[in-house]
Amino acid sequence: MEATLPISSALKPAPRATPTTAASGVTAASITLPLRFMLAGLAALTLGMAWIILQPSILSTYHYNQDVIAATHLFVLGWISTVVMGAMYQLVPVALETRLYSERLAKWQFVFHVVGFVGMVWMFREWNMKQVGHFGCVLGFGVLLFVFNIARTLLRVPKWNVVAHSIASAIGWISLTILAGLALATAKCTIDFEAETVSNWALAVDRVASSIRRFDPIGAMHAHAHLGVIGFFIMLIVGVSYKLVPMFTLSEVQNRFRAAASVILLNIGLAGAFFCILLRSPLKIVFAVIIAAALAIYGWELIAILRARKRGPLDWGIRYFLTAVAFLVPLSFLGIVLSVHSLPLTAFTGQLENVYGFVGLIGVVSFAIIGMLYKIVPFLIWFGTYSKHIGRAKVPALADMYSAKLQALGFWSFLTGLLVTTSGILLSQATVVRIGGVLLLATVITLLVNIGSMVRHYFSPQLASFKPAASSIK
Amino acid sequence: MNTTPIVTNEDTVLEALRQVIDPEIDCNIVDLGLVYSIAMDEGVLTVKMTLTTPGCPMHETICWGVKNVLSGMPGVRDVEVELVWDPPWHPSMMTEQGRAITGAR
Repeated sequence: MEATLPISSALKPAPRATPTTAASGVTAASITLPLRFMLAGLAALTLGMAWIILQPSILSTYHYNQDVIAATHLFVLGWISTVVMGAMYQLVPVALETRLYSERLAKWQFVFHVVGFVGMVWMFREWNMKQVGHFGCVLGFGVLLFVFNIARTLLRVPKWNVVAHSIASAIGWISLTILAGLALATAKCTIDFEAETVSNWALAVDRVASSIRRFDPIGAMHAHAHLGVIGFFIMLIVGVSYKLVPMFTLSEVQNRFRAAASVILLNIGLAGAFFCILLRSPLKIVFAVIIAAALAIYGWELIAILRARKRGPLDWGIRYFLTAVAFLVPLSFLGIVLSVHSLPLTAFTGQLENVYGFVGLIGVVSFAIIGMLYKIVPFLIWFGTYSKHIGRAKVPALADMYSAKLQALGFWSFLTGLLVTTSGILLSQATVVRIGGVLLLATVITLLVNIGSMVRHYFSPQLASFKPAASSIK
Repeated sequence: MNTTPIVTNEDTVLEALRQVIDPEIDCNIVDLGLVYSIAMDEGVLTVKMTLTTPGCPMHETICWGVKNVLSGMPGVRDVEVELVWDPPWHPSMMTEQGRAITGAR
């Protein structure tokens, strides 16, 4: 006979035991794998914020020049993509209850990715598009390894859900983004036909370049940017939210159809928007509205999840994330306004486009990532430091590993920095942009100090003894 | 099968299990309502428990912690942790103390 303890007063009748099979197959990547991506990403973020302060004209003037494109790729590839890919190696197995296909491939991808983005940013600044293409191929090979690794991991998922579909969509869009980026770099290269030998390979590249040159270069650049930002970053924010927000707030998805609709509409809207932006079609606004509808449905579901949550006050990590998501409202509105075909291209609309890109990359994506880093990094370090001590000694909670006050200070500094920088962009005032950049950098410094506190636990664990031992069991 | 009831010692076992925390929520697994039942069979202590969500990244750590904290107790030869998902965990399973710790609504 089995003795059942009245462990939880709310649990009546006693539970019927069903041994798990799913969770036993879950194995997250080793902590050093995602951590190296995150530390490299943080270095790029720090450099990027310093760049805004040192050269605020990259935001206060129109964005089609080599410095803006170099800085944008530093943020997009160096900071956001690096952290997102590192986090995916950790989160995809957790969210989908499976194992990562290969850690070795992920380690190689890190090398290709870092060499690729550093070289690309440097060569964009030099405006050497041939070398941008070469470094882009290195980065692209790394992305190929990433996509292959995540795709093979997805194939192991026993039960597909909206999270798996959104991740599959995201890796499809990042593949297309890289191809589009390489095509754009190719289009900007010219072949020296005066040279003695021109290889067949060079002629083939020239044919591709000629076909890409038919498109308006700014339209092609914007189409490429939307593929990456909406297809990869926003798609992942939407999809992964349906796992992480309920997990962190003790809630659950309230309406699976609503969640699925947001991902489907985002895919449809982006596919249409890509071609409309590329071809400068008046139908662009239709797909902008579809994307806005997808994000509105996502917001609707997120509010429902939060209303149903059982955890009381939200921690600062979640507040960062939710504030970032709230910025999708003005961003969608601005996206629709900028999609109006008859909108004249004036200096002001050019600055509006800068605001659109800035709010999308910094206000939404970066803000959300910083929030999630406050959940992921302490977990990784805690796991590497304390998991072997649990049950043997008193271990700290994740929130004990860093300063919540510093985290809150960083939140307000970032929010203020966003508003000040946005004002500076709208007014084309470099000094105001610089002040905003200082506030944004201040947040990065608070994050780095807090991550330093977390890392300190790795080298100097803070363990305490338990209470006196319990009596024997008869 | 000869099973030894341990009802008289449930407080002892629960008190020991309160040393195992979910570090994300900063609450121990007993007050979170994760522990469903405990049975003793010839020195083998079996704990049936769940987690707040399937695929919880802390799953191996928490199970390891349960084994650690109970295997050191006198009279316990071995500890088995049986992770179950039915019934699924719900915040209403938390104790009053757990709700106070987590600020559950």
